[in-house]
Amino acid sequence: MERELTQITEIVPREYGEVQVGESALAYGAGPINTAGPVIQNRQEMTLLQKLEILSDAAKYDVSCSSSGVGRQGDGTGIGNTAAAGICHSFAGDGRCISLLKILFTNECIYDCKYCINRKSNDVPRASFTPDEVCELTIQFYRRNYIEGLFLSSGIIHSPTYTMELIYQAIYKLRTVYRFQGYIHVKAIPGADPELIQRIGLLADRMSVNLELPTAEGLQRLAPNKHRKNILTPMRQIQQGITQNKEEIVVYKHASQFVPAGQSTQMIVGATPESDYQIMMVAENLYRKFDLKRVYYSAFVSVNEDKDLPALPGGPPLLREHRLYQADWLLRFYGFEAGELLSEQKPNFNILLDPKADWALRHLEQFPVEINRADYRTILRVPGIGVKSAQRIVKARRNGNLTFEDLRKIGVVLKRALYFITCNGRMMYPTKIEEDYITRNLLAGKEKLPFDKDGMTYRQLSLFDDTMERNWREAVGG
Amino acid sequence: MEEYYILCEDSPEGIFSGIYDAYLLKKPHERIHLMVKEEDNYRLFANYLTCKPDGEKACKVARTIRKQFGLEAYLAIFRAVSSAKEDKAEAVYKTVVTGLSMKNPVKVLENLKDPFVHRVFEIARRVGNETHGHVEFLRFRELRSGLLYAQIAPQNDVLAFIVPHFADRLPLENFIIHDKGRNLFAVHPARQDWYLYSGTEETELLIGEAAKDFSEGEEKYSELFTAFFHTIEIKQRKNYELQRNMLPLKYRKYMTEFIYGNKGL
Repeated sequence: MERELTQITEIVPREYGEVQVGESALAYGAGPINTAGPVIQNRQEMTLLQKLEILSDAAKYDVSCSSSGVGRQGDGTGIGNTAAAGICHSFAGDGRCISLLKILFTNECIYDCKYCINRKSNDVPRASFTPDEVCELTIQFYRRNYIEGLFLSSGIIHSPTYTMELIYQAIYKLRTVYRFQGYIHVKAIPGADPELIQRIGLLADRMSVNLELPTAEGLQRLAPNKHRKNILTPMRQIQQGITQNKEEIVVYKHASQFVPAGQSTQMIVGATPESDYQIMMVAENLYRKFDLKRVYYSAFVSVNEDKDLPALPGGPPLLREHRLYQADWLLRFYGFEAGELLSEQKPNFNILLDPKADWALRHLEQFPVEINRADYRTILRVPGIGVKSAQRIVKARRNGNLTFEDLRKIGVVLKRALYFITCNGRMMYPTKIEEDYITRNLLAGKEKLPFDKDGMTYRQLSLFDDTMERNWREAVGG
Repeated sequence: MEEYYILCEDSPEGIFSGIYDAYLLKKPHERIHLMVKEEDNYRLFANYLTCKPDGEKACKVARTIRKQFGLEAYLAIFRAVSSAKEDKAEAVYKTVVTGLSMKNPVKVLENLKDPFVHRVFEIARRVGNETHGHVEFLRFRELRSGLLYAQIAPQNDVLAFIVPHFADRLPLENFIIHDKGRNLFAVHPARQDWYLYSGTEETELLIGEAAKDFSEGEEKYSELFTAFFHTIEIKQRKNYELQRNMLPLKYRKYMTEFIYGNKGL
């Protein structure tokens, strides 16, 4: 985009020209108009296109884009439905899915978080939508099947409560006036009035509170205006709201649903020095204690120059992010615990092997597994066998003993699984069950990573040659 | 040993009628084969029969499959029948035979050891994936009359699987989805049931003209979405290969953000 975006904003005395807020927004502690300092205001000529560019550009670092977790048919009076599995509608040039219209309500912000492009001290063009503009974009995009719904987050304008009130107005209008029944994901802003979060929860499908950084220390260092406690409070509130709502629905069938698609969170990886072990323990705790649907990990993308931020000449730590997601899946669908994958002594994931293969190599005493006898949970732990394959195996073996050929058809990746399984008491080839031998063979077939072309990974890895070599030695047991 | 080859029409009705006729022959099923396309080389000592599609026969077969195998397997078989693969008739026929001989026919598609069941599973999955791809990537454009019009060109005959999703989603809209390869139209009038319409050359010309006359909003919103599509990308994570894996090029021909993007926005 070649447009001169900086020309269209200017600093003027505080007066909301574009942002139309109800009286109630002021009632939530926004204070009398003339006492507030100057704010950046949109000039009249900022078009919807310019706003959309600024506010989607500012929202893109939020990872969550899923539209899953709730299946709902349209009631025939408006527009929209939702699919339980979620639907992606496009894929951007970075390969990430576009499912929701992901925008900020405003990118003005009173906070100064060091990793964030919208931090107060950054000189970037600022813009704000009106509730009507958000509705218009959502409905018109949705009709054309561009999107699956709305993801609305926001910078903090004036105060958390004030900002949430604006968001509430937008989605209230979308749900009631436009009768939109598609997916809505709203960011809960820590520190906002709990009453508002409760009301938004009854309109939204999913809510999320960003944990931002894995530990409280990291948060203190990089986001001086945010506090761990304030972040966990709305997370707990939403969790309790969901539990309570489920009980209500049992009693009153038509009680309105509170955050039916559950809540999620995200944390930035690689901006602070936490180990993978610490991150996985945090994620596990969030799943267990806060009943989260998803924890997203976001490889730190350096957008600001700051002495407290790491320099990442090799680009965002994509491989590390990838390993964390792999491990996250192991926690949620494969019955693993964080403590099994990593420990204080081995705090980081292996660069060369995925966490499941890594675990299997360290537990060779549990292998080989007999495919025609072993229970589902044991089969699930074999590298090269995923959830679907494991389910198919358990069903298909009722009709007779399975052979390696059958496994291949079912979808098992035999070149990985063959070291860990037997069919009818036989292994596929004569192989040694020996860590070095299997490691060598697994590494011979290159792992399929979602990013290795476009010159990203190879360059990136070569910068960490020393760690790579150490990991390599560790992996081959040297 | 005499073999029988039944040639049936390439449609759900045709294939189900073929299955009915195969049972009528009262010969061992291993020696009966179903085809949807004539073979290039005819075999010696084989009887070639042609099956005329018959609504009544097809309904009987469909009803049996639905009743014996349950809804899920029935839908999978229906998807397989809509595939563009030529061996689908044989695979479906043999799967029906296997299923009816099982103690619990509902589990027929779990029997992946059986090569025909596996084949049905495979082609049904492929059709299912293409259906899902079009649900994801289909794009409506608003014409001057307010009608929403979408074009697709699927390999398999997936139109009928796509429409219910949009009919539920956009009940108050008039919309048409046009399968360009088969010249098939799914028409959904606002607040009414949708139907399929098989177009002639004339309708194609007619709709071709109308489909060039977009509403005013269309240009505005397609520009807005294309801009959004480009700004939402994190440039530091650029990864075209992943994008291509997730969104294959074959879908992009009719997608607003790619059509518009090519004009050098």
